[in-house]
Amino acid sequence: MLKGKGIKAIVSMIGLDGHTTGGEIVARVLRDAGFEVIYLGATQTPEMILQAAIQEDVDVIGISSHASNYIQIEYLVELLRKNEMSDVPVICGGNIPKHVAKQLKGRGVAEVFPPGSSSADIIGYIVANARGAQRRSA
Amino acid sequence: MKRETDYGYALKSVYGPEDVAGFDYSRDLNDPGGYPYTRGYYPEGYRSRMWTQRMTAGLGTSVDANKVLKKYRDMGQVGGICVISDRVFSDCIDPDHPLGRREAGVLGWPGCSLLEFEEMMEDIPLTGQSITLLGSSAPSTLRLAYVVALAQKRGIDPSKIHGSVMESPFENYFGQTDVSPFDLNLKLFLDASEYVLRNKIRMRASIISQHFQESGGNSAQALAVNLSMVKEICGRLINERGLDFDTTSLLPYELVSVGTRFFEEIAKMRALRRMYARMAKEEFGAKTEKACQLLMAVHTSGRTMTYQQPLNNIARCAIQTLAGVIGGCSALDNATLDNAHSEPSALAARMSLNTQHIVAYESGAADVVDPLAGSYFVEALTNKVEEEGYKIYNEIQAMGGMVAALKKGFIQEMLSAEAAKKFREIDGKERLVVGVNHLVIPPEDDFEIPIQEVHSQDSETIANRMAEWKPTRDQKLLNATIGQLYADARKDDRFNLMPSIIEAVKAYATVGEVMGVIRKGRGLSYDPFEMIECPFTFE
Amino acid sequence: MKINGEDKGLIDALGSGDIRTCARIISRIERGDTEVVSLLQALYRAGGRSRVVGVTGPPGAGKSSLVSQLVKVWRKRGLKVAILAVDPSSPFSGGAVLGDRLRMAEHSCDDQVFIRSMASRGQLGGLTKAVGDALTVLDAMPWDIVVVETVGVGQNETDIIRHADVVALVQTPMGGDDIQAAKAGINEIGDIYVVNKGDHPDANRTCRQLRDMISLGQHLNPGDCSWVPPVIKTQSLLGQGADELADQIENRFRNLRENPEMARRRARERVRHRTAEIVRDMLDRRLHSEDGQAVEAMIDSVLVRERDPYALAAGLIAAMT
Repeated sequence: MLKGKGIKAIVSMIGLDGHTTGGEIVARVLRDAGFEVIYLGATQTPEMILQAAIQEDVDVIGISSHASNYIQIEYLVELLRKNEMSDVPVICGGNIPKHVAKQLKGRGVAEVFPPGSSSADIIGYIVANARGAQRRSA
Repeated sequence: MKRETDYGYALKSVYGPEDVAGFDYSRDLNDPGGYPYTRGYYPEGYRSRMWTQRMTAGLGTSVDANKVLKKYRDMGQVGGICVISDRVFSDCIDPDHPLGRREAGVLGWPGCSLLEFEEMMEDIPLTGQSITLLGSSAPSTLRLAYVVALAQKRGIDPSKIHGSVMESPFENYFGQTDVSPFDLNLKLFLDASEYVLRNKIRMRASIISQHFQESGGNSAQALAVNLSMVKEICGRLINERGLDFDTTSLLPYELVSVGTRFFEEIAKMRALRRMYARMAKEEFGAKTEKACQLLMAVHTSGRTMTYQQPLNNIARCAIQTLAGVIGGCSALDNATLDNAHSEPSALAARMSLNTQHIVAYESGAADVVDPLAGSYFVEALTNKVEEEGYKIYNEIQAMGGMVAALKKGFIQEMLSAEAAKKFREIDGKERLVVGVNHLVIPPEDDFEIPIQEVHSQDSETIANRMAEWKPTRDQKLLNATIGQLYADARKDDRFNLMPSIIEAVKAYATVGEVMGVIRKGRGLSYDPFEMIECPFTFE
Repeated sequence: MKINGEDKGLIDALGSGDIRTCARIISRIERGDTEVVSLLQALYRAGGRSRVVGVTGPPGAGKSSLVSQLVKVWRKRGLKVAILAVDPSSPFSGGAVLGDRLRMAEHSCDDQVFIRSMASRGQLGGLTKAVGDALTVLDAMPWDIVVVETVGVGQNETDIIRHADVVALVQTPMGGDDIQAAKAGINEIGDIYVVNKGDHPDANRTCRQLRDMISLGQHLNPGDCSWVPPVIKTQSLLGQGADELADQIENRFRNLRENPEMARRRARERVRHRTAEIVRDMLDRRLHSEDGQAVEAMIDSVLVRERDPYALAAGLIAAMT
């Protein structure tokens, strides 16, 4: 049985970010590991991602970021908190400088994956930390 | 570890005469400056014309961008300026649009109106250097309008300006997306192209494979896609706009992405020149030599600039720059060592420019044209990538050309599959990247490089300034020019909108207003995001 | 039937349109949580209000963008809409990339629109039951229209779409060979036929061919003669034809109301279908359950040909009653 079974993940870009290549690759990698991926694509506002997270009842939100618009990611974390969805971790991947990664984690982003992160690392992290991990491992 | 080219050809360990059997110098290579131009376009190479060395800029407000451009000039970048738009301008909305507020000035220049362009270009000459404004296809007509409008204001003859401000609509499929529909981007791109060609403005249009390759496409695919894009654009300018090939050949400017696989990149550039020349002559009946030459600039690959151990990127950039120079180009801009981290810091920018200067003045590579010609390996590689490129090119042509292949999803699937393959190769260590999947060191042990800070509070400032400034414009003139633009936008696709766009831009219409009104004229919503209403009324 | 306190709370929440409760219950259904059954029973007994529209067709027909246009029309008419977008999972990994939401992005932040993706999770049989259960949940909420969207025209997709009251079959303009293949698709489940990408040069011809095939089918198999499935042309990317489609859907609903005998017959089929799914699911669990030692022993005996699958089946059913 594949690691991702039973885990629902959002993979999305945020704000006006239109760089879809990275997100598309991650979506496929996760699918091949058994995850159910809600792929939202480009030009997704934090509000749209929130709605998708609620309606699809996802266990983790993955943001692929290549537009330096980190303020949007912070805003998303804030929105999730306001809507009592902080149990759904937000992880990011992409061109995110170290000091920004630190700042984002300080604001509630669960983990930041730099370019070149292995699929094993990403999958391993999600399996261990997505919402419901305890229930699934029981 | 794979010992293959990036398009899957297994490399031998040694190449010899048998690998170039049937080689005919005058047919396959010829001297530099002679058809089919495999060896380059200038008999004296860089001795007669050094490549333009430049760096990209565009961060924060237009005033900030102006400062950066002046700083680069002081650092030795005198050949030209190169500025990238922010996402807001790329999507053709204004900074005071609800979605624009948080991202204005982030990762690019907020070029929303002529005012911004004037601020950015203060004390910077429009002539005597190449003016390049990049960033997505949709705002191409606006960028051109800014240049023409500013030239008129400064009393400069536009035909004295050179550079590139137009990007082809194909970009949207290669990861450089904007939110404009393809057919609108295509029509406006053709409008801008026709305008520069008829008015003899030496502005080029980038019809490039850079984004294709940066999104994962391989060299053979890049060659096929390149030729197909140029063929499509030139074909339309000829058939739909009544131009002839030799005129349209002045338009395209190719930006080749050069990665670390040194010899393959050189072979790719040589093959591209040869394939383009043959297409020009045999498919389009080019009458002049110039029409068989493709203006080629090089961009060293940003994708190869690793996040881990960024100092390694200096070595990568050096190899890539050397490959680009030996391959033969008219301009070269390098990605910087901190590409995976942020916009270039001053240190990284200087490092990249110095890399070019070292290659130019210390390596001797610029003293001889096409120095690797005659190498069994390089000639064999050139032939091979050309052969593989033609296979894909023929497939695309059989479908009816680039636009048809895109409509069928062929190009997108090819790119997706290749990107996934590249990821798998690295993930599975079939290809090694030092610091990433080979010889990895813990992040704590890594060298800390200075990182350019991103000032996010500028976005709100830019947005507020725009909102306050809009009502101060000459409303009568604005309404008149916008009204004319709307009327023209409702006409047939072949009606060139550039003249009315330029008039609106001179009246300080913003990008959101210009594009919004064009969209409305074509039956689309004013705002691509359908969040704001058109502020103008028309009869 | 007695309803426990917790279920009552959930039923009330659903009745008031609580999206989050709805989303969570659907997740429990997808996980195969047996504790949700009592809730589903109560919901079913109290339900019957919703109008379910099925949209299906081969991949690439543009269903999602067409549904998005339909939703636009319905929203303009003041209707609240829920959409279940069903996608196949990878047969290799059991995972899935669900991209229907992407094509309906304009409705993302409309709180009168609910979009939920469902994937087969590698067990196609279980999926049609899960869709039925999800529809029962949506039935308890104030949606005016519920859409079930599936891709493909295979047997599994047909099973899923049977849950709908009115079915729209969407295809693209076809060339010569495809017409033959499409004949297989002209079956009793289509109430409305849609030819998308209607600006394609072959679109009109495809519409004509479909109309011919439909009238031939009706002639050979005069089932429901009060309704002749219309053929509509749409262009979902340009937003053309969606109004007409919404009107035809209304027409079919009205037609069903005016022909209660026919409607009852279809409803009875749906109940048969739904019950069979539930039975199949129960049997599936028994056959695959890890603590079913007795079942494993029986399978062993079938393998060595001491018993046969017929006896095994009869034994299972006997054990369950």
